[in-house]
Amino acid sequence: MNLELFIPEITLAVFAILVILLDLFVRDKSWLRLVSLSGLVIAGGVTVAMWGDDSTAIFNNMLAVDNFALFFKLLFAGIAFLVILASTDYVAKFARFQGEYYALILLSTLGMMLMAATTDLISLFVALELTSISLYVLVGFLKDRKSTEASLKYLLLGAIASAVLLYGMALVFGSTGQTQLGAIAQAIQSMSLESVLDSPALLMGIVLLIAGFGFKIAAVPFQMWVPDVYEGAPTPVTAYLSVASKAAGFAIILRVFFSAFGIPEWLSMNWGMIFAALAVISMIIGNVIAIPQTNIKRMLGYSSIAQAGYLMVGLAAIGFAPAIATQGQSTILFFLASYALTNLGAFIAVIAISNKINSDDIADYAGMGKRAPVMALALTLCLISLIGMPPAAGFMAKFYIFSTAVQNDLLWLVVIAVLNSVISAYYYLRVVKVMWYGQPASGEKVPSSGAPRLALFLCCLGVLVLGIIPGLVMRLAELAGKMFAF
Amino acid sequence: MTIGLEHYLVLSAVLFCIGLYGALTKRNAVIILMCIELMLNSVNISLVAFSSYIVPLLLTGQVFAIFVMVVAAAEVAVGLAIILAIYRGLTDIDASNINLMKW
Amino acid sequence: MLANYGLIGLFSIVVVLFTLVMVITPIILRFLKIVPSNPNPIKNSIFECGMETIGKTWVQFNFHYYFYALIFLALDVLVVFLYPWAVHLRQLGLFSFFVVLILVFIVLIGYIYAWKKRVLEWK
Repeated sequence: MNLELFIPEITLAVFAILVILLDLFVRDKSWLRLVSLSGLVIAGGVTVAMWGDDSTAIFNNMLAVDNFALFFKLLFAGIAFLVILASTDYVAKFARFQGEYYALILLSTLGMMLMAATTDLISLFVALELTSISLYVLVGFLKDRKSTEASLKYLLLGAIASAVLLYGMALVFGSTGQTQLGAIAQAIQSMSLESVLDSPALLMGIVLLIAGFGFKIAAVPFQMWVPDVYEGAPTPVTAYLSVASKAAGFAIILRVFFSAFGIPEWLSMNWGMIFAALAVISMIIGNVIAIPQTNIKRMLGYSSIAQAGYLMVGLAAIGFAPAIATQGQSTILFFLASYALTNLGAFIAVIAISNKINSDDIADYAGMGKRAPVMALALTLCLISLIGMPPAAGFMAKFYIFSTAVQNDLLWLVVIAVLNSVISAYYYLRVVKVMWYGQPASGEKVPSSGAPRLALFLCCLGVLVLGIIPGLVMRLAELAGKMFAF
Repeated sequence: MTIGLEHYLVLSAVLFCIGLYGALTKRNAVIILMCIELMLNSVNISLVAFSSYIVPLLLTGQVFAIFVMVVAAAEVAVGLAIILAIYRGLTDIDASNINLMKW
Repeated sequence: MLANYGLIGLFSIVVVLFTLVMVITPIILRFLKIVPSNPNPIKNSIFECGMETIGKTWVQFNFHYYFYALIFLALDVLVVFLYPWAVHLRQLGLFSFFVVLILVFIVLIGYIYAWKKRVLEWK
């Protein structure tokens, strides 16, 4: 038993418990934030130290320790760090429950780390539910009507989605007799197309898995929870949800579909086609419905649906050409990293501004260019990155994903995606226009405090670095994409 | 007529569909939670059946079912707690009244 | 094989007929005035083991009752993990004992949390 390979997860679990206990026995609550931040720093630091060429399986092949998992663990620790930093002022709204807030963020980060590492259907389900249940509670943290309502909707729909996912897992288990992803792949390779078509339980199981994961990444037929939950949840939680939960969903999809269902081409072509179809409707519906939105959190919610669509273009490319799939994976990893920084930056700016003006309406952002120039500039940069314009990270991310797709004969999909990027420019730039050219409601400055500024600075720096010198992160993503041999 | 794997699978599929139908059509949040529980437990039936017919020497499916039970209980506990939080402010749990935010 | 389905079909017909007869019989009896229909307050009152009901039956339970139930639900199910361990206690050895100790420790933290948050006090 190599427990030392499990240190990032153990650290997070210990610190989550520590935060709960400190909250119970210590009167000065400002410690809690420091403790949880230091837990994330330690977990992230250990993850960096573990980065290497060899990959191992621990706990009876239930978890993999490879560069792919480590890449995501570092990403999740970073996201949670930025979210906690950004919610410094916001936690005043639920000051009595600060301890639970930090502990739940740590626990859901732990769940996501496990999701990125899991190589077995059982541990996959447990990790997924650890993440989801923590998030259900976090969404309801404001305890007002909207927030609890969002939480209930998220819980009910999320539970239905996990039941569907579980049924898919049961069918896959039943038709292969295995729960370990590598063993499933071996069992599938010994089957022929005819025998699978004769008893289509495996195909049914794969479709149900796509439905269950589609809920996690908010792909279109399974997206109905997104706008309500994004609007009702506390804004830092919305930021966390839109970035980390989506990245975890893609991590698990990449892992499961590449290592279990990647090999016979007749299988991978088919799930590639399903992802291509989902990508098309996600992009179109996300972008078109985002246009009339007046609430900025709802607008960012629909925009995140569209971004999931762009990411699924990459998944479709992997399905169509499993032979060069490592390239497809590294482009998806790069897109996820850039999307995480960009969207977090946008949300941190929204948190800082909304917390002071007490409104999420886009109309109330009028004249923010004069009232809060730093925040408005950062928000502008992030929105430009979301459109996919240079010099921001979003441009390089889209460029990589689309060029991989073109190489794999998915030109039609890329044309639709580029057209959608043009549509999306309309509603992103509308916010920019309102901020810089709108008439401010009052000449009063909107102040912001140190910690959110630091978080925002880190995000914007990341967006620019990824946009101008993408090679650095791309090399990491390539190393991470090559792993997974279980 | 002996009872074979397919009988368990059909039972499980029927229960799953009843649960899904109820979860999508019912208006009472507690009943929706019960329907979700029905869906999860129907999956448990097929997990255990698959396990004992396809890999009779291993206990994979049974162990999976235990994990599902525990996770489902945690989910229901959180669900009931959220319903309590709503009930405090709303006085009823008809899911069609939970409509502050619309598309 | 088909004969088996014939039996099932016969069975379903009997089930439907039986249900219909059971539903319709009282209506017909009422219609023919064989069964008397004269409701009065005592007949309509809520039957509670022979006791007279006090107040409305739609009473609210004390809120703390739900907290107890929730804590019971969450902690109780964890015992499921102890059962397979206990069955194979001797084969599993000392390592699994420590694993179970960690599990119990985590459950204990939940208990301490509930205790310090005063959920266990009945006011």
